[in-house]
Amino acid sequence: MLSVGLLTRIAAAGSLLFFALAGCAPKQESQDRTLHLIGGDFRGFDPVDSGDVSTAEEICRVYEGLLEYSYLERPYKVIPRLAEALPEVSDDGLTYTFRLRKGVRFPDDKCFPGGKGRDVTAHDFIYSFKRLIDPQISSDGDWIFIHHVLGAKEWADKGNFQAPVPGFIAVDDHTLQIKLAHPYPQLLWTLTMSFTFVVPREAVEFYKQDFRSHPVGTGPFRLKSWRRRYRIEYDRNPFFSGQQYPDVGAPGDREAGLLEDAGKPLPIVDRIIEYDVSEYYTFWQMFLSGQIAAAGLNKDYFQKAIAPDLGLSDELKQRGIRLYKTPEPTILYIAFNMKDPAVGGQNPQLRQAFACAIDVPKLCEVIYNNRYTPAHSPIPPGIGGHTDKPYPYRYNLDRAKQLIAEAGYAGGRDKNNRPLRLTLMMAGAGSTDARQMGEFFTDHLRAIGVDLVVQQLSFAEYLRRKQEGHYQIAYAGWVGDYPDAENFLKLFYGPNKCPGVNATNYENPEFDALYKRISVMPDSPERTALYEQMVDIVLADCPWALMTYPLTYGLYQPWFQNYKRHPFSYAGAKYYKVLPH
Amino acid sequence: MTAYLIRRLLSVVPIMLGVLMLTFLLFRVIGGNPAYRIAGKNATPEKIAQITRDRGYDKPYFVNLQDFPSQLLDAQFPRLLGRLLRGDFGESITTKEKVSDILRKGIWPSLCVTLPLFSLNLLLAVALALLAAYYRNTWVDRSLVVLAVMGMSVSSLVYIMVAQYWLAGEWGLFPVWGFENPYYLVLPVLIGVIAGVGGSVRFYRTIVLDEMYQDYVRTARAKGVSPQRILFSHVLRNALIPILTNVIIALPFLYTGSLLLESFFGIPGLGRMLVMAIPNGDEDVIYAETFLGSILFVLANTLTDIAYAVADPRIRLK
Repeated sequence: MLSVGLLTRIAAAGSLLFFALAGCAPKQESQDRTLHLIGGDFRGFDPVDSGDVSTAEEICRVYEGLLEYSYLERPYKVIPRLAEALPEVSDDGLTYTFRLRKGVRFPDDKCFPGGKGRDVTAHDFIYSFKRLIDPQISSDGDWIFIHHVLGAKEWADKGNFQAPVPGFIAVDDHTLQIKLAHPYPQLLWTLTMSFTFVVPREAVEFYKQDFRSHPVGTGPFRLKSWRRRYRIEYDRNPFFSGQQYPDVGAPGDREAGLLEDAGKPLPIVDRIIEYDVSEYYTFWQMFLSGQIAAAGLNKDYFQKAIAPDLGLSDELKQRGIRLYKTPEPTILYIAFNMKDPAVGGQNPQLRQAFACAIDVPKLCEVIYNNRYTPAHSPIPPGIGGHTDKPYPYRYNLDRAKQLIAEAGYAGGRDKNNRPLRLTLMMAGAGSTDARQMGEFFTDHLRAIGVDLVVQQLSFAEYLRRKQEGHYQIAYAGWVGDYPDAENFLKLFYGPNKCPGVNATNYENPEFDALYKRISVMPDSPERTALYEQMVDIVLADCPWALMTYPLTYGLYQPWFQNYKRHPFSYAGAKYYKVLPH
Repeated sequence: MTAYLIRRLLSVVPIMLGVLMLTFLLFRVIGGNPAYRIAGKNATPEKIAQITRDRGYDKPYFVNLQDFPSQLLDAQFPRLLGRLLRGDFGESITTKEKVSDILRKGIWPSLCVTLPLFSLNLLLAVALALLAAYYRNTWVDRSLVVLAVMGMSVSSLVYIMVAQYWLAGEWGLFPVWGFENPYYLVLPVLIGVIAGVGGSVRFYRTIVLDEMYQDYVRTARAKGVSPQRILFSHVLRNALIPILTNVIIALPFLYTGSLLLESFFGIPGLGRMLVMAIPNGDEDVIYAETFLGSILFVLANTLTDIAYAVADPRIRLK
């Protein structure tokens, strides 16, 4: 029989054990040249499976590719990394020849014969690229090559991994050729993405399913330990092939101290420790207590950290904390399904009335604490083709009423005096943000007599309906993959309509003809002029009501140096510096 | 007794099926086809179709009437059920880990928090309840009841935030976050005990007081047995049944971990994993947790009934 004594002893033993353990003091780690950051849960260390920001950041610590972004220079610029130089491009724009740097080594690892690493060759790149388009792996980055590289789609359809891909050619161990099916000037941008980073065949075959936990890359750091959903630690990769801190930057970088380490070997820090903190409150406490080097700002903590003039609060200034603000290459918008009988079609007045009815500056203030700014072009700032021309459908209630009347819905009623009822779908079912935003839109549309019904859906269901075109109006966004306006304008290209990325099903022959031209043009003033022309067409037809551009606000500690936000590159850690503190 | 046990164990089947079906309805039927999310934003229609096909999202939800009757159960829910029964919990959509690995790695950190929390809570609550009952209707009893009510009225989130800000952040007495050594567990466990002990004290106090008004206590007192002996040897022993109920019913929650404490203090346990899986729609993780949780819950209930019979010979299980 269970006795009281037994029960008490069990409870007492547990409690005593706890107090005994509680007596242990926390271990203090050396702060010297160790960078403490916050990381997120991620998919593991397989470059072909790095479609989210958290995974791409971790991949960039340990792997590298042919090209990378210049860390400091703006506008964004591609520079060689494992290639000796930028590729030689044939006159027809179809063949890219890369000379690989010699002496770049995969680190020693038990996956190699005798545990000794070896030099990276062109064959390694071909192997890695084939993995990216292999249907068995089903990477979400296969779009980089699958429709652009000569014979890639046919190769993938056959499903024979050993067969060669006609567009990937190893001329010799240190010369790689990529042959394209059609000109694709965006290839250079996409080759900076972590999807294309080089992995050794030996590691993939040796570790098999565990490959994503055992990175064997040429990157600046090496995985030391990893406990999922808790902590990850890297140390310096002794095989990292010589790279120095850049000596050129953008205007203002020298004054900001960003060029002080010019010419110093990378990486600058010896270790990186990242913590997977899911609660922002905890994250904030850790930042304030100096345990981590940098912190993004979320909506709830914005007012604690930022003064009304949008500068840093006095309290944080006194702690020596610094603020950075960076526009993101992202746009949020309201998409109209052009196939919908009410909001679609050739008559843009109803869509324009919708856009004019929404007070976007107020949206930025009320919903986003001014962390977002009103959008005026479908191409966000910092991307070629973005202009500062004012948005033609800024908030103007009188104009909105006039436009809706012109559309045949005066006072929000049709010619049979029936009220106009529209449905807006949003992702984020149950979230406070989505609910507040839905109410904001409903209130504003009511002012022109429109009864707006807001549907909040799960993210998966939202994506399905958007991709299949089963919606009337959607609140949507697009995060740029690379700094080329083509990446945004493809969202309006007719052949990309549902189930493609053109979720509005917008079609305009003039726009499509221009898109065909720009998609094969290298960067030039002529191409930029065409971008602007295309934007004007889109704005006139109004398949989107433009909403906002996010602005990243972040904080960093006084002892954390060389930080400059680059929205397309995740390889910044090798440049970071930690001062003794 | 054996028949009773078999009956109770068989009840696992409808309960587990019900819980799993509800979860499936919420996350798959209402939540939609996860293929769109898995495929990424630049996905082609062919890619979405391939993922849908490969993962069986194109099958009917519950029964397949197309190839009746041979393929009747070739549908999403029966396939999920079959997989779980075979011990194949699938893989996480977010991290691509095997869910069985996630569960294996998560259980120890969860137990590191829940076991001391549970033990301390039990010890403290029973001790305080006995104290309150012993000094019933005095200032000691009233103070304890007031403190217990106050303690249980405050959300555990408040305890966490105050403790993290003052004890850890401002005064530096504890680490704000982490799971490096046992010292890191002190604050979350203390918060868990403080937030939970109030309710337990009130519950146990009521039970002990009920016993103290029984005839056998009066008899013992009349025979001159000391009040301490009555309390510890007679009253507490007879109050064991409801205490056991409370203890055993809580056992499954030791496994599922503490959602809030693990999330705020960075304990990489199963509670935190579930908190992260729900907004990510990480279905296989959620199915595995609910599947195992429902089984454990029924087993704990059965164990309570058996413990009743063991603790009190008057109870017979039929």
